[in-house]
Amino acid sequence: MANIIVEVCSGTHCVMLGAMNIIDSVHSLDEIRHDMDQCCEVEVRAVPCMGLCKGGAQGPFVRVDGLLIKGGESDSVMAAIMDRCAQSQDT
Amino acid sequence: MRGLFTSITKIRRQVFTEVARYAFERDLDNSDFNFFYESSYRIIPGEVATYRDSVFKERAIIRERIRLAMGLPIRPADTHQPLTKGMAESATADKLLEMPLINVIPFACEACATDHFQVSDNCRKCLAHPCTGVCPVGAVSIGKTASVIDQDKCIKCGRCKEACPYQAISRIGRPCAEACGAKAIGSDALGRAKIDQDKCVSCGLCIVACPFAAIADKSEIFQLVTAIRTGQTVFAAIAPSFVGQFGPLATPGKVVAGIKALGITRVIEVGWGADIGSLHEAEEFLRDVPDEKPFLGTSCCPSWAMFARKEQPGLANCIAQSHTPMVAAAQRIKQEHPDARVVFIGPCVSKKMEALEDEVRPYVDYVITYEELMGLFAARQIELNELKEAPLMDYASRDGRNYAVAGGVAQAVVNVIQETAPGREVPVMKADTLHECRKMLALAKAGKVNGYLLEGMACPGGCVGGPGTLSQISRASKSVAAFAQASSYRTASDNPLDQEVLPIAPG
Ligand code: SF4
Ligand code: FES
Repeated sequence: MANIIVEVCSGTHCVMLGAMNIIDSVHSLDEIRHDMDQCCEVEVRAVPCMGLCKGGAQGPFVRVDGLLIKGGESDSVMAAIMDRCAQSQDT
Repeated sequence: MRGLFTSITKIRRQVFTEVARYAFERDLDNSDFNFFYESSYRIIPGEVATYRDSVFKERAIIRERIRLAMGLPIRPADTHQPLTKGMAESATADKLLEMPLINVIPFACEACATDHFQVSDNCRKCLAHPCTGVCPVGAVSIGKTASVIDQDKCIKCGRCKEACPYQAISRIGRPCAEACGAKAIGSDALGRAKIDQDKCVSCGLCIVACPFAAIADKSEIFQLVTAIRTGQTVFAAIAPSFVGQFGPLATPGKVVAGIKALGITRVIEVGWGADIGSLHEAEEFLRDVPDEKPFLGTSCCPSWAMFARKEQPGLANCIAQSHTPMVAAAQRIKQEHPDARVVFIGPCVSKKMEALEDEVRPYVDYVITYEELMGLFAARQIELNELKEAPLMDYASRDGRNYAVAGGVAQAVVNVIQETAPGREVPVMKADTLHECRKMLALAKAGKVNGYLLEGMACPGGCVGGPGTLSQISRASKSVAAFAQASSYRTASDNPLDQEVLPIAPG
């Protein structure tokens, strides 16, 4: 069973710009994925400041299995996860 | 939008951060408030509108939000006034805030239609058209392509909506007015939302309800930072709902450390003031109910208390006389440190209103929300996670910490009552949101809650659902519960309130 790791930056800048909401929306996927019979596991990790905000880039920053999503909003992160799940289903 | 992070949340927080940044960076003797013109370009960059029809309008709205965040009134749209008007005077450590706290920015308001029933293009003009048949006042007729509702006749019973097999009829109202339990939102001459200040009790729920970000409250971050930067001693009193608000890595000890890193001397738990409130309310209940007062209403939510007094003036004396936990904590600080400034940090707009009352003014210098505090952290680039945990406060009991969630206040008071008078039954009724509070007050008026303890809260779920929070209610409630369990004292009476140490986290 595939294990997808979602690292959500939980530093000050990213939390201010909605990191907690992203974590909530990733958790909210569990039910949908269950209904869709997707059997991959999604593990959410709250990680400290990735350092990317300090250069002026706008967060929140999220890594889905290593793939960086900049200025992530819940929708783009959820879509990336659903993609990964679908991929791991095919292979 | 409550519980969701949207562009509106983002804009609001960016404004706080800009204002906080300048508050920290400006030259104290020679400030140039034109900085804020640039802020509006930083928040809304480029030439193309992102959120509304015009980039110019977007920036104009940001500028009014900046004024509010500076504690200043918005400008009238029909006369010329520079953005910076009044800013030099606002750069003070003294209290500047004035009513109204909650402001509709008129040109940001999209004048949403007021509450009505509407037929959508789901309507198939079906043969049965039950919508017409069920209407008790003959307001629904069949038009050329669809059912039509005569708005003058409609009494809003909702029967047509229920009868339609295609869900073609819906009830739509203004999000701001729907959120307002005090029914304070009407319209101006152009149909835009207008707050009736006589009815408004500053709960702040319209702010988070408006999908066009047209409503904002005033802030005191600028004056707070000015106090810090001019070397004044500032104490922070933080509300029990603070745990879990600043991200999954920000433990309570780190949040306290972060507040100190801003230049604040000490941080105390308002839960300690909640314990004092529980003792007072239990005493008042045992003394006065039912002989002097038919029931007792809690007093920790100023919006609820004010709403109750306005809505049922005849029952005003049934709302507990004790001050809110914020005031109890602030009084204690000022007793020992008369020269210190006190900032209350909470989820709440309502406390901003309370702090303007004559009896409260001497104790509470500023009130800011968690969201505004986050703006200060961001402006100073304070990484909570990297700070060393400040020694944990242990000044509030479990029950005092539970004031943050609906039901917690009543439970805390009941526990004290039953410790004092074992075997005494205390029926409790609770209501969160002013809509529910209104119903509870109607029951009270009808004499249906005699002998009860009533807990009223303006925000959904209690303080954890306040307009100044960052975390979702369910997640925040869990964090509060864990923090409450960690206290060494169970109830308010277990708390050795007269301990010699001031209830202040050491160091
Ligand atoms: S919800 Fe917002 S846009 Fe709509 S009427 Fe109220 S203030 Fe105006
Ligand atoms: S807070 Fe997320 S990268 Fe710094």
